[in-house]
Amino acid sequence: MDSQNKNTCCAGKGWFVGVVVVVAVVIVGYFIFKSPSEPFATEPVLNKPVSVAPIKIGVVGPLTGDMANIGENMRAAVEIATEEINLAGGISGRQLNIIYEDSKCVGKEGSSAVSKLINIDKVSAILGDTCSSSTLAQAPISEKAKVVQLSYCSTAPDITNAGDYIFRDVPSDLFQAKFAANYIYNKLGKKKVAILFINNDWGNGIDKAFNDAFLAIGGQIVNREGYDLATKDLRSQLTKIKGLNPEVVYFAGFTDSTIAGLKQAKELGLKNIFFGADSWDDTKIWNDLGIAGNDAIFTVVGTASTDDFKAKMQAKLNKPDIIYCSNYAYDGLKVLAKGLSSVGGDATKLKDALYNINYTGGVSAETITFDKNGDPVTFNYIVKKVQDGKVEIVK
Amino acid sequence: MPRINEAFLLRIVAKNDIIKPMEILPQLILNSLIAGAIYALIALGFNLIYGATRFFNLAHGVMAVIGGYSVFYFVKTLGWDLWLGVVVGILLAGLIGWLVDKMVYLPLRRRKASNMILLVASLGVFTTIQAIIAILFTSQFQTLSQNAGTQKIFEIGGGIITQIQLIVLVSGVAIMVGLALMLKYTIFGKAIKAISDDEEVAKIVGIDTNKIIGYVFFIGSAIAGLGGILVGFDTGIEPTMGMGLLLKGVIAAIVGGVGNIYGGVLGSFLLGFVENFGIWKISGEWKDAIAFILLIIFLIFRPKGIMQK
Repeated sequence: MDSQNKNTCCAGKGWFVGVVVVVAVVIVGYFIFKSPSEPFATEPVLNKPVSVAPIKIGVVGPLTGDMANIGENMRAAVEIATEEINLAGGISGRQLNIIYEDSKCVGKEGSSAVSKLINIDKVSAILGDTCSSSTLAQAPISEKAKVVQLSYCSTAPDITNAGDYIFRDVPSDLFQAKFAANYIYNKLGKKKVAILFINNDWGNGIDKAFNDAFLAIGGQIVNREGYDLATKDLRSQLTKIKGLNPEVVYFAGFTDSTIAGLKQAKELGLKNIFFGADSWDDTKIWNDLGIAGNDAIFTVVGTASTDDFKAKMQAKLNKPDIIYCSNYAYDGLKVLAKGLSSVGGDATKLKDALYNINYTGGVSAETITFDKNGDPVTFNYIVKKVQDGKVEIVK
Repeated sequence: MPRINEAFLLRIVAKNDIIKPMEILPQLILNSLIAGAIYALIALGFNLIYGATRFFNLAHGVMAVIGGYSVFYFVKTLGWDLWLGVVVGILLAGLIGWLVDKMVYLPLRRRKASNMILLVASLGVFTTIQAIIAILFTSQFQTLSQNAGTQKIFEIGGGIITQIQLIVLVSGVAIMVGLALMLKYTIFGKAIKAISDDEEVAKIVGIDTNKIIGYVFFIGSAIAGLGGILVGFDTGIEPTMGMGLLLKGVIAAIVGGVGNIYGGVLGSFLLGFVENFGIWKISGEWKDAIAFILLIIFLIFRPKGIMQK
């Protein structure tokens, strides 16, 4: 019986059952593993009677994974902005519907999320992504489909040239690196720096930018250590850095690896200053580390949260927690809405509208205007310091 | 204490001019030993199972994850006593390993399935269990240790090691010694050796091979569970950590001599040293690449590993 089945493959009932099983598993698997975006997609319809089809905007972010705290924070801000937009009459009289997709901060997931938003949901514009790797993976898709994509948190320098339809309201890391280099060299007076960076698009971009900037003003870079984006064990790199004895370690890491890295640095007895970048604005890091995160210092783009915004965020999240990406996501959505309103809701005219837009009175930058590459023209950086799990703005 | 592999590497290291020489050497050595011990915990179980069944059990990696998450659930969520949670975690990993054998591998072995089929089945088991854990506990990275960064720290010869890392080292050595003694001096151990030599003949001689293999899965998976728990205390756990641990364990096992208990441990420490001393001169992103380059070199020049059976 056994040998008979072995030799007569693909014949008769057995083969048919096998195909049915495989198809069933694929379908079941799809529904089990599909990110639960659809149930939370549509905003509750308000009292206004909807006579015209709603405008759909897709929002991508890391709703799960390493940056999930940032993603959830952003989502709260986007929900607030959506409610406000719809209460004020929507976009050209049409309701605004947001469709959320989870990119998990990974290029592959991000690009399939954007593909789905563009091809299946037929969104008018895309707000996203948080992570530069995702945005860079998504940009070619949006560019080809001629759908405007505005990132609220991706700062890698490469995004400047990612496409005509690609915008962002956060500045390129070239500026953050220069600002940080200046601060370390002049304000802190430290000349000897080692760079520790996460090996993805953002980390690589800021490593190169900081290296160039710090060397240009006369500083010394003793080492540039990268680490795998999934690893939580930075001991080998930290041991190497300890041996080189820098005054400052410029640590460009995401949430999980920062938590692990700073803990391990403390265990290994590293005594230098740890200087980070905008990714350190995630409150989860400092809540988790407690006193182990003391004296960490980092740069981030400035924000201008109104009391109203703060109150609404606190109500949504049940805790006072605002990460800067949320401010820029809130304003980003409002910029898209303003742009669409100015062209009567016609998504094909949105790109040109954005190049001419001037948005003020938001909760992030003072004014939002875009240069010819889709990057913001005006911005400012601030420095934050950590003490006992609390983050304070310096100076 | 320095064994062949360490001395060998130290000689190579001394030849190159290091920027900051002897200061960091003790720490590098300690890091290598800790990494080696973790890989050894995985490789030991893997080798034990491979020795008895002759197939690459990919599901071995997820047993470590089961151990880690059991402790997470019992100790952190339910609030059990730490030691109780750890013991239960180890036993649970062993039990699930044994169950997988009974429900998946044994029926396949009875049907004379090839090793390829068993490998694919083990991959299926790995993926399924990993997905279930992700659904139950979310994919977020979690830590098992209660206190952040306030562990006891010891200084050994100029290098720093935390309490957990010391436990990792001690466990690795203890289990290796225990396993070696068991295999050599108990009847159970001899039965395992008999089965790994030739399963058919072992059956003829009267050994209940399926029962013994079941116990082998239990022991091997329990050791992997302990490995996962210790990694959880040292850095943390996430559902996808199984594959990474398994790959390093498999590299260690192959390099050291697959199926050979001593070889697995040797390979693990060699891997730990090559990884840590390797990135001394090369940038940190290459750490994983170095591990796999080592594997490829061995597969080309000495495929049976350092200690051939």
